[in-house]
Amino acid sequence: MNFELLLQGFANILFGKALIMVFLGVIGGILVGSLPGLTATMGIALLVPFTFGLPINESMGMLLGIFSGAIFGGSISAILIRTPGTPAAAATLLDGYPMAKRGEAGRALSMSVFASFIGGFTGALIMSFLAPQISKVALKFGAAEYFALAFFGLSIIISVSGNSIIKGIIAGLFGLLISTIGFDPISGFPRFTFGQMDLFEGPAFIPTLIGLFAFSEVFKGVETIVEKQQVVSKLTRFLPEWKDIKASWIDILKSSILGTFIGSIPGAGSDIAAFVGYSEAKRRSKTPEKFGTGMIEGVAAAESANNACTGGAMIPMLSLGVPGDAVTAVLLGAFVIQGLQPGPLLYRDHIDVVYNVFAAMMIANIVMFIVGALGVRIFAKVITINRNILIPAIFVLSVVGSFSMRNSMFDVGVALFFGVVGYFLNRFNFPASPILLALILGPMAESNLRRALVISDGSPLVLVTRPISVALLVLGVLSLVSSIIKQRKSQKASV
Amino acid sequence: MNKRVFLLFAVAVLSVGTLLANGQQEASFPQKDLTAICPWSAGGGTDTILRALAKETEPFLGQGITVTNKTGGGGAVGHGAGISADADGYTVTMVTFEILSLPPQGLVPFTYADYDFLMRVNMDPAALTVPADAPYNTVEEFVDYAKAHPGEINVGHSGPGSVWQIAGGVLAQKAGIEVKFVPYDGAAPAVSALVGQHIEAVTVSPAEVQGQVEAGTLKILGVMSSERVEIFPDVPTMQEEGLDVVFGTWRALAVPKGTPESVQNTLSVAFKAGMNSTNFREFAKNTGLGLAYMPGQDFEAELSTASTDVNQVMKNLGLAK
Repeated sequence: MNFELLLQGFANILFGKALIMVFLGVIGGILVGSLPGLTATMGIALLVPFTFGLPINESMGMLLGIFSGAIFGGSISAILIRTPGTPAAAATLLDGYPMAKRGEAGRALSMSVFASFIGGFTGALIMSFLAPQISKVALKFGAAEYFALAFFGLSIIISVSGNSIIKGIIAGLFGLLISTIGFDPISGFPRFTFGQMDLFEGPAFIPTLIGLFAFSEVFKGVETIVEKQQVVSKLTRFLPEWKDIKASWIDILKSSILGTFIGSIPGAGSDIAAFVGYSEAKRRSKTPEKFGTGMIEGVAAAESANNACTGGAMIPMLSLGVPGDAVTAVLLGAFVIQGLQPGPLLYRDHIDVVYNVFAAMMIANIVMFIVGALGVRIFAKVITINRNILIPAIFVLSVVGSFSMRNSMFDVGVALFFGVVGYFLNRFNFPASPILLALILGPMAESNLRRALVISDGSPLVLVTRPISVALLVLGVLSLVSSIIKQRKSQKASV
Repeated sequence: MNKRVFLLFAVAVLSVGTLLANGQQEASFPQKDLTAICPWSAGGGTDTILRALAKETEPFLGQGITVTNKTGGGGAVGHGAGISADADGYTVTMVTFEILSLPPQGLVPFTYADYDFLMRVNMDPAALTVPADAPYNTVEEFVDYAKAHPGEINVGHSGPGSVWQIAGGVLAQKAGIEVKFVPYDGAAPAVSALVGQHIEAVTVSPAEVQGQVEAGTLKILGVMSSERVEIFPDVPTMQEEGLDVVFGTWRALAVPKGTPESVQNTLSVAFKAGMNSTNFREFAKNTGLGLAYMPGQDFEAELSTASTDVNQVMKNLGLAK
């Protein structure tokens, strides 16, 4: 670590046009992130061609601003209208939306800003100080380790199942089944596609999410739309209250570190990080059964983990030239079109650029915190709109969101279909979160298990002869067993 | 004026009118913004190239070009949408190699022949790449090692039926070696698995391994092109190494079959000018993109032989029906 270069990097960003670019990026990112159907990846991809003529400080400032802003922005719609603006915010809605419904949208949002900032800044710090070391560990992840990580993530299905383990498992298996639709990841054989080209890659993720969460809520809302309902939401402050920070600071710190590390593993993105952070907070909590009903710790853990992931995902991109997730893959392209090849050579030949990126990432998070905190009041107003205006508005937004992902009417159909499914699941008290978890982790588990078996000539021993893989599998089994035991106990207590 | 003369006169006027109108319409194409379909998602290689090219071509067309990502179905959705668009020149599609590999799998109801090609834009060969500390330094040593250890070398590629799997298949077939193919979800994950030494080789483009090769973690044994590639002038071609393998991916611009010829000409001239612009050339140089302009008709002739070859290799790999 060279502090002189880091200071120089800060100076380059703060005393130039770059700072304006960061601000523009963050504001644009929050907008893109909060609109369902526009993701961080898309926002950055659309802007990369325009950064071609800009100096690298300014282009990185803007793009990293969008990155940080969008990952936070996704939580706004997750909390307010139960629609994750980006996949990263999928875990945030579990507790964020129930809070908003109680009239605590402001409380949830200000915690989201705060946790996002701490997570994002921690990720940026870890990236600046430890990138080369962490990337070495990340490279040790082969197919077996990825499978074990996905298994560990899936093991929390029971703990997000709510009251009935059986219903949770049914929902989880339903999600896994959905995730098998499309090309077989190893042999390329199309499964359950009925010859529909649009299903070759499975139902698109964002429209499915919009269906399960937003449309189902709209359908439910229609039942009571004639009654005039209004959520009263009072908000007098920018920052979360001291008691909320006190309740969740351990979760925020833990999630920040977990999120950074998960981000640094190529192929594991912020949606997975958020769930791992969330389940860790739930495991630690004294009242785990209250998660999913609007716990501030749930929002804090999910949001700090997914923003920490931004710094984490930059680690392999900068130090190895291997993108950590979809967004950093696009960022890699932004470097390359400037004639800079990220990787060990960037550290050797353009160390000044590397330090500018570190500085830009930290500044982007600070700017995100300022813009976010000032914006909370405005965002939170959404929830006070009368329900019989808000519900049709959400409906329109959801249709547009599911269309815009791939410019496809088919995807609107997918969203409506899952809306109906989600509505009935809700009616019969099936939890929706296990489906979400299965959709995110199912494909990762399947393709990596099979990839590991291809490499090992079909021997399953490969899963238990590698230390990281064994450790993750054991953790997964422990989490399964402990959540079953906890569930039993709480059921006995309530009977 | 009797009726017949009047009719004749009317027909004459109308046809001249139509001709004039036609002429006028063609002369002033394009009159509105164009749409460029990208069958792959925003931020990927094809998308980046199309967006850069569209931006540089706009001044030559005098109209805007909006890039739309129609993704899904392993490229099938976008390629299908490009064919079913109106054949008026207002929808241009960036067609990629997959137009040759989708039909043999029996997955799509169209082929490359449903397009009129404007030009080929680029061509990037596959490169056989291994870790820098691997026990072989040449293609020959690699082949000898593979013959001594049949089925032990894991070759990573970017997905089942992808161009890079077929590239590996062609190589294995020509060299007479038995290797194992490991599909990844795209080229980047395959390259990181190689860097982490979870597999023994990849057959992806030189640009996709450039950073790692320059950093000294990976080495390229040979490229599957007829001439050495610009970014790695020291790496021999497969042909130089005694293996007659020329294989790679390409991207081309095309319009639906039946688009008026004059419209096609206008588009070809404009996009060619865009390709030749300084900005686009610099972009191509920085990204290691192998620019390989070829006029549409020549390229269509090349595709007709290429499609039979791809079909054959896919059958051998068990990918085609």
